[in-house]
Amino acid sequence: MKFNKIFHKTVLVVLVIYLLLPLAATLIFSIAGKWDHTLLPESITFKWYGELFSDERFYQALLRSLFLILVTVAISNIIMLPTIFIVAVYFRRFERILQAVAMLPYGIPPIVGAVGLIKVYSSGPLQISGTPWLLVGAYFVITMPYMYQGIRNSLQTINAQELVSAAELLGATKFQAFQKIVVPNILSGIFVSTLLSIALLFGEFVLANLLVGGRFETIQIYLYQKLNKSGHTASAIVITYYVIILLLTWIILELKKRPMQFQSVFGKRKQLILVGEKTEGFLKGEHK
Amino acid sequence: MSYLMIDQVTKRYQQQTVLNKISLSLRQGEFATLLGQSGCGKSTLLRSIAGLVDIDEGAIHVDGKNITNMEPRNREIGMVFQSYALFPNMTVFDNIAFGLKMKKKKNIKNRVQRMIEMMDLIGKEDSYPHQLSGGQQQRVALARSLILEPKVLLLDEPLSALDAKIRRNLQLELKKIQREFQITTIFVTHDQEEAMTMSDTIYIMNEGSIVQSGIPSEIYTSPVNSFVAKFIGNYNVLQMDQFQKMIQTEELAIEGQEVAIRPEVIDLVEITADVSNIEEKWIVQGTVQDVSMIGNVIRYEMNVNGILVKVDYLHSHEHFFKQGENLHLIIPKSECIVF
Repeated sequence: MKFNKIFHKTVLVVLVIYLLLPLAATLIFSIAGKWDHTLLPESITFKWYGELFSDERFYQALLRSLFLILVTVAISNIIMLPTIFIVAVYFRRFERILQAVAMLPYGIPPIVGAVGLIKVYSSGPLQISGTPWLLVGAYFVITMPYMYQGIRNSLQTINAQELVSAAELLGATKFQAFQKIVVPNILSGIFVSTLLSIALLFGEFVLANLLVGGRFETIQIYLYQKLNKSGHTASAIVITYYVIILLLTWIILELKKRPMQFQSVFGKRKQLILVGEKTEGFLKGEHK
Repeated sequence: MSYLMIDQVTKRYQQQTVLNKISLSLRQGEFATLLGQSGCGKSTLLRSIAGLVDIDEGAIHVDGKNITNMEPRNREIGMVFQSYALFPNMTVFDNIAFGLKMKKKKNIKNRVQRMIEMMDLIGKEDSYPHQLSGGQQQRVALARSLILEPKVLLLDEPLSALDAKIRRNLQLELKKIQREFQITTIFVTHDQEEAMTMSDTIYIMNEGSIVQSGIPSEIYTSPVNSFVAKFIGNYNVLQMDQFQKMIQTEELAIEGQEVAIRPEVIDLVEITADVSNIEEKWIVQGTVQDVSMIGNVIRYEMNVNGILVKVDYLHSHEHFFKQGENLHLIIPKSECIVF
């Protein structure tokens, strides 16, 4: 028993160190002055942040990223939410097909996907190659697995069909039932899906670089450019947008608390941690 | 004139007929029960009355109006689901007010408050469904439906998830509310005892058809076939050759193939007792093979010429026989039902 407890704690500590170390290193590097032959920097300076925050390009890139993400997530919610609901409640037999479609993005390497998209949308009736709209479309696709899983899982925890039936017998239309009963009850799932998508898209580089590149500089492309010039500035960017994601997560979870009093606070904490880990994962991947 | 009339309703899923030309009618204020095993079509019938299932043939009339093809929300039918289907994101007050809001009724606050008082839910207005007990949830589900003054109330096994004691209390409560509101009600259950205690009329369903209907006592004492006999009580249902082997008589042979005898009509007397003056009854010898206690009832499993027969007795000390005892069984001829 005792050994087990110690073992569990050790694993946990190692895991936390493993996850936090790159982040801590990035943070230190972003505030390091002279750092040649010592373990820790000899002096601390905020000049990298100063440079970053006085760079107009940084704000522009950040705004572009936010714009892309918000548009994508909005479209994704508007399309996926009713689709998943309708399939789960009224067309059970299509559920497997929807699941397969939603998982498809995992199977396609981003480079292959990007080249295909450029080819298809360079000619024909819809010539949006090189515009951010193509990127929105591609982002919609890559967030699909997250949206699908999160929403479907929370739909399964409520008896959606019966709730809709009950609402209908009480005089509601199907749409009213969806809007007033189903959506409020799966809000947590929608939030988690949305947050995961946001975190994923914030760190997305390959598609953005290939599809629009310098023509629509997102935060990741900006980071890439800076990486070649100064490691310190790049670190400052990473830390900054990590803080932004953290803030965003916190705000949304705080907002969520209000209409969902019936859910325990504990449930929300867990989700916060989950999102946090996910974000770190993306950051680490990006930082290599 | 019947208030709710179901006429030749048929429903098929692919090749399978789930409801086969079902007809039944209820007068206003009647409490009818659809009784049957799971998969017999009783819930499907309930859902087609509510409009949640489209029927293939037949018609449903309520209060003289044909509602067969109406949307559920226009049917003026209330339903309490097995899971209650209370809206988890709404308080008790909002759950009860939901229907009135959807129908854009006036005076919502007062009406909901009155309903909350009637249903004994005072103090629970701001609670969420998961904070309520099973009984309170049931009352909210009922209140939510009743506040719209539906013409028919449908209850889909609302008590089946609860344990025996609470269940008995809620049965009484449900019945009380039904009487108070004088509402025409169809109740679905697979529990024959529940059906017996609550209903004015019982419809027994099997494989998509109504097998027998009638008042509870009639159904209990004169089942029309062996299915009903087995389902409704603990009838001893014997094949004719088994029966003949047991009684050693040919008397009923021409009347049918099966004989059903209720366990509580059979009398047990000691082998030494004088049985020579008894008329219109069969007397046979048997051994007590097994004794089991079912609360207030003692059930003896008797072995009579190799045939096993159940005999029920009220739990009282004067009749207590032990395993292996040899006894006379006295079976009234009039209580043997032949199919």
